[in-house]
Amino acid sequence: MTADWQPSASLATLQARERLMRATRAFFHARGVLEVDVPLVQSGANCDRGVVPMALDERYLITSPEHPLKRLLAAGYGDVWASCPCFRSGEQGQRHAPEFRMLEWYRCGFTLTQLITETVELLATLTELAADTECYSYRDAFRHHLDLDPMTASENELLAALDSNEREAVTNRLDCLDLLLSEHMQPHFAPDRWTVISDWPADQAAQARLLTDPADGAALAARFEVYRGRLELANGYHECCDADELSARLHAEGKAPERSSELRPDAHLAAAMRHGLPDCCGVALGFDRAVLLATGVSSLAETMAFDWNRA
Amino acid sequence: MGMINTNELKNGIKLIFNNEPYVALNVDFVKPGKGAAFYKIKVQNLLTGNVLDKTLRSGEKTESADVVDTDMEYLYYDGNDFVFMDTTSYEQVSITEKSVGNSKEFLLENMQCQVTLWNGQAIAVKLPNNVVMEVTYTEPAIKGDTQSRVMKDATLQTEAVVQVPTFIETGEKVIIDTRTREYLGRTKD
Repeated sequence: MTADWQPSASLATLQARERLMRATRAFFHARGVLEVDVPLVQSGANCDRGVVPMALDERYLITSPEHPLKRLLAAGYGDVWASCPCFRSGEQGQRHAPEFRMLEWYRCGFTLTQLITETVELLATLTELAADTECYSYRDAFRHHLDLDPMTASENELLAALDSNEREAVTNRLDCLDLLLSEHMQPHFAPDRWTVISDWPADQAAQARLLTDPADGAALAARFEVYRGRLELANGYHECCDADELSARLHAEGKAPERSSELRPDAHLAAAMRHGLPDCCGVALGFDRAVLLATGVSSLAETMAFDWNRA
Repeated sequence: MGMINTNELKNGIKLIFNNEPYVALNVDFVKPGKGAAFYKIKVQNLLTGNVLDKTLRSGEKTESADVVDTDMEYLYYDGNDFVFMDTTSYEQVSITEKSVGNSKEFLLENMQCQVTLWNGQAIAVKLPNNVVMEVTYTEPAIKGDTQSRVMKDATLQTEAVVQVPTFIETGEKVIIDTRTREYLGRTKD
């Protein structure tokens, strides 16, 4: 172990990190997507399931630049992207950090398929890996890896697929699905290509628009995630443009019973949504995880000049 | 002892599960970007050595174990228990044969040991990694053989039997690694 004043990343990793950021800027510049800076402290909270914002002087540190970027879209500024530090309370581990860097961008008039392609292109450019991709719907991924339909399985069937020590920790159906995905499916994702999981259950829609499964009418969300092996890298939506529907979701999430204190939803986002969000798709990508993948270091701390424990 | 939050979990932390003390060997934070967070931990039972997998929901409280390691000197066996002295407070502590466990094989009077206390009760005795022991019996040495890699049994002053090279004589002092029972060398000390 090195002393706490010393950096957590090697010089070579920081040089690689800087190259990746330059490549990102070139990627978006070539595609006419405008880079913008956004406030890191905002008056209303991001309200996402499982994400706990940090508070600062009655305001909130951003957990992603989603809200200011959407306000720019509503104001008619066109395709925009931001690279900024984000903050999520309590998220600390080998692949998590309470302070991390997010890349997020929005494309007007894109289909979700176009944005998935662009996301994999950026990841392939940054990591110098081939763009070979395997796409599954969330349902098909569960059927393929666990022989379970996540939309129709009973809670007992979901519990039976967990390890006995995991059963003691889960409190509801969504917990079961999260653990099955992260511990029983992600470890089996192909190590040598990108795995895309699309069409998530509607109760995990976050800010994505809703769809119905043509096979049986099940409620789905136009959402995707990109993984390399088990490493989750990006999360994107065909954005929900219905101001009332989104506001209802965010208010409900802000008051979710598992929160220790209620969150104040972002009134600026709500007003921008009422003004009108253009038809668009957006995606957020964990930049530090892309650096981890590109450099082969084993923990997120090693991608950062000074990680949380040395900050 | 107190309850701790899952965000205080780290390797080496002592916890209680099913009323028994455990040490965390590995702590992994697991969370989909927009989903529930869990800690997957591997813990070892400090009484039995058994290793278990545990999953805790992030934010859950879990019971920490009052487990401390104390430097003690072994004094004598009183016929029932092993009597140690805390080298800081000079207080004497009796430790049962069960708690001393396999350590008794290489335990000599005046040896400096590390005693693990749980709620003030000794649950384990850790010996120095290397100890010097007199050989009380071994087959006579083969003359002229000082390089041999062939090993033979030797009984030590604690009655433990270990493997030593064939050139070792009864009455000689040998250095033993208490973790592996391996012969490391001989000494005139």
